[in-house]
Amino acid sequence: MSLMTKAIGKEDHILDEVIRLGDDIANSRDLELLRENANLNGESFSGKMSKFGSEYAKWYANHFIMPSQLVQAIQDNIVYVHDLDQYAIGTTNCIFIPFGKLLGQGFNTGNGSVRPPNSIMTAMALVAIIFQSQQNSQYGGVSANKLDHDLAPYAAKSFAKYFLKGLDYFEEQEPGMTAADLGEISMSRLDLQERYPRSFRYAMRETESETLQGAESLIHNLNTMSSRAGGQIPFTSINYGTCTSPEGRLVIDSILEATMKGLGSGETPIFPIQIFKCKKGVNQAPGEPNYDLFLKAAECSARRLYPNFANLDAPLNLAYYDPSDPDTEFATMGCRTRVLADRFGRNHLSGKGNLSFNTLNLVKLGIEHGVVLGRRSEADEAGFYRELDHYLNIAMEGLLHRFRIQSAQKAKASDFMMREGVWEGGEQLAPEDPVGELLKHGSLSIGFIGLAECMKAMYGKHHAEDEEVYQKAVRLIRYLRSFCDRQSEKLNLNVTLFATPAEGLSGKFTKRDRASYGSISGVTDREYYTNSFHVPVYYSVTAATKIKLEAPFHDLCNAGAISYIELNGNARANPAAFLKIIQYALDQQISYFSINHPIDRCSACGHEGIIGATCPSCGSHENEVHIRRLRRVTGYLTGDFQTRFNSAKQAEVRDRVKHTS
Amino acid sequence: MNICGYSPESINEGEGLRAAIFISGCKHYCPGCFSPKTWNFEYGEPFTLARQREIIRDIAGNPLLDGLTILGGDPFFSAREVSGFIDLLHLEAGPVPVWIYSGYTYEELSAASDSDEYALLGRCDVLVDGRYVEALRDPSLLYRGSSNQRLIDIKQSLEHGEAILWQSVFTK
Ligand code: SF4
Repeated sequence: MSLMTKAIGKEDHILDEVIRLGDDIANSRDLELLRENANLNGESFSGKMSKFGSEYAKWYANHFIMPSQLVQAIQDNIVYVHDLDQYAIGTTNCIFIPFGKLLGQGFNTGNGSVRPPNSIMTAMALVAIIFQSQQNSQYGGVSANKLDHDLAPYAAKSFAKYFLKGLDYFEEQEPGMTAADLGEISMSRLDLQERYPRSFRYAMRETESETLQGAESLIHNLNTMSSRAGGQIPFTSINYGTCTSPEGRLVIDSILEATMKGLGSGETPIFPIQIFKCKKGVNQAPGEPNYDLFLKAAECSARRLYPNFANLDAPLNLAYYDPSDPDTEFATMGCRTRVLADRFGRNHLSGKGNLSFNTLNLVKLGIEHGVVLGRRSEADEAGFYRELDHYLNIAMEGLLHRFRIQSAQKAKASDFMMREGVWEGGEQLAPEDPVGELLKHGSLSIGFIGLAECMKAMYGKHHAEDEEVYQKAVRLIRYLRSFCDRQSEKLNLNVTLFATPAEGLSGKFTKRDRASYGSISGVTDREYYTNSFHVPVYYSVTAATKIKLEAPFHDLCNAGAISYIELNGNARANPAAFLKIIQYALDQQISYFSINHPIDRCSACGHEGIIGATCPSCGSHENEVHIRRLRRVTGYLTGDFQTRFNSAKQAEVRDRVKHTS
Repeated sequence: MNICGYSPESINEGEGLRAAIFISGCKHYCPGCFSPKTWNFEYGEPFTLARQREIIRDIAGNPLLDGLTILGGDPFFSAREVSGFIDLLHLEAGPVPVWIYSGYTYEELSAASDSDEYALLGRCDVLVDGRYVEALRDPSLLYRGSSNQRLIDIKQSLEHGEAILWQSVFTK
């Protein structure tokens, strides 16, 4: 390969490298390194401590663990191995937690055992604890794929408790009657409501207020708790929206209500990421049981950026949908990871997740084989695909190699996850048993970045600028998908295609490509490459057009994808527009969708909305008071994008053109 | 007639997602006006027939739009030309709902039923009326700047002979 440079330094450089690594972290010399992850304060002591661990672990994996071809491909700047610091120890990426099961049976955190909760308040508190415990068993996100269904039974328990209390207080019970005579008490028991109206109303009110309090404390907890040696807030996501029982509806309503209220002083919560699951017949049109909650979700999203919207009716999600089993409803890890299908029959979400993914830099391949360098007048497609194949195979080999390391780990290494059966079946393993047979239900994914810049480099235009180029772009992504499908068959594993959420990565590829090729207009001249298949944030198209252009890619990216629209303006004042855009995106069969809009917060008066240099409410100037500017990056919100984002992402946020103005 | 701005999609000038056209020229000279540049009738670019058709094509081809908003300046100083544009819009793109902004009040605009202003009013659905009064500025108001300004349901108002406020389908 012409692109190759020698991968590994000579022996005598090894010591120098190790020393420099430490120096850079200890002295905060490399801010980009420390800010790689917007969710981690890399300039704090604990942040630095974990950086020491992770940087050395990466270095070790590079020098002594990974196949040399993979190291070479990284050196070539075409393959990126995510969470490399976890490679050598065999950690897995993310998981959908079976909350229903854990809450129903009780669990043990390792420091003590927890009984099944008897009220919605306790259940919600335990959700936070489960999230936290699980986060320490892995490196990526933790998600609740159907929190409304999982929590509804506990709202019913609270209700029953209050109802019995009410019977006593209001002396509504009939002589000789026992609790058992009443049967199962729940909010849907209209007969009880008729016979014991005062107790019923009392129980209703108390349960409503308890559920709201529970939701508030859940959100507070998920924004304040730490995991992984104190360095990080768990990457939590919660999916909900389809449970139509009165208790499930109350849970959804309370979460939305608590989110709209905001944190302590009314600020927008950053965690958990929330995803509202949209399903025709359930919550998409007037008259459907949860339509009111969908409207509330849209309103909440217009105020708080969350929830995002998952589309259960998109063809790739509908294929596995069983209305009688909410565990088959498409849900997502907030950053977009999707696991649903399983070759080994677990065609549901909870109890499994993604194992790892490697991302391809499409742009560099495009530069090498395209017209952009002026070396040729027509793109060398044959050469492009030949080299693509070469790197796809290396990326795949890398995933497999890592999978073997992961499979060989003992159950006790991911103690909570296996012992408690968070990963389905883990509870049957002895502490010394290897986990491989269970992990095969998870997915290995190939990701990609920079489709837009790749097309520009190949053909002189990106896929939103030209219909013919667009067709070529679709063909390329379809090619990647069919590679994954073929590998699934060949290896008998779940190999899927991922529209990579490239946070730390977005600038890294670019920086090195620019060093090699210089600044090429529309290709390497920005600080970042465009995420996955997205229309570039700096390219001006209407919202409708962006949705139309991106929709077909969702069906191809079976490991997950998200599309965004940027709204400029005070979205909370105009929910009608918000709603219409969401439903249009769902109709176009976008699988996972969200709308970005700026939320600024004046720290002098607490006003939230769009704030220029001066606060429209109290008139404070940004030079005098801090204006907190909340923006979304790769699916997660970041408290203040100017202090926590790495420079590539800061640049991306600056360049975003609004699809409305 | 000149226009000094065009947004193919906006959420700031009326309910839903709307195209917005800013017509140059205003003689109200409100103190604290958001953009005194727009007072000049020569500001911006000529609203040629070609440009009109281009914008109408945009609107007809965008399934997300709830309608068009016309602002200024004050479009009622160019009432006859704006009416002509709305007629063309309705002819080519169907019954697109139109919101319109003015420094005049509804009562002023509807006073003479044979005026150009009245004719323009009748072609629109919602009027955001009244001058901008700095002392009554309120940033929390929907789609307008000062609290004397109103959102008026034009069809209802014309029918009943008095200003009737517009109601959002979204008010809870
Ligand atoms: S009517 Fe509007 S454009 Fe005219 S001066 Fe007043 S605020 Fe400015």
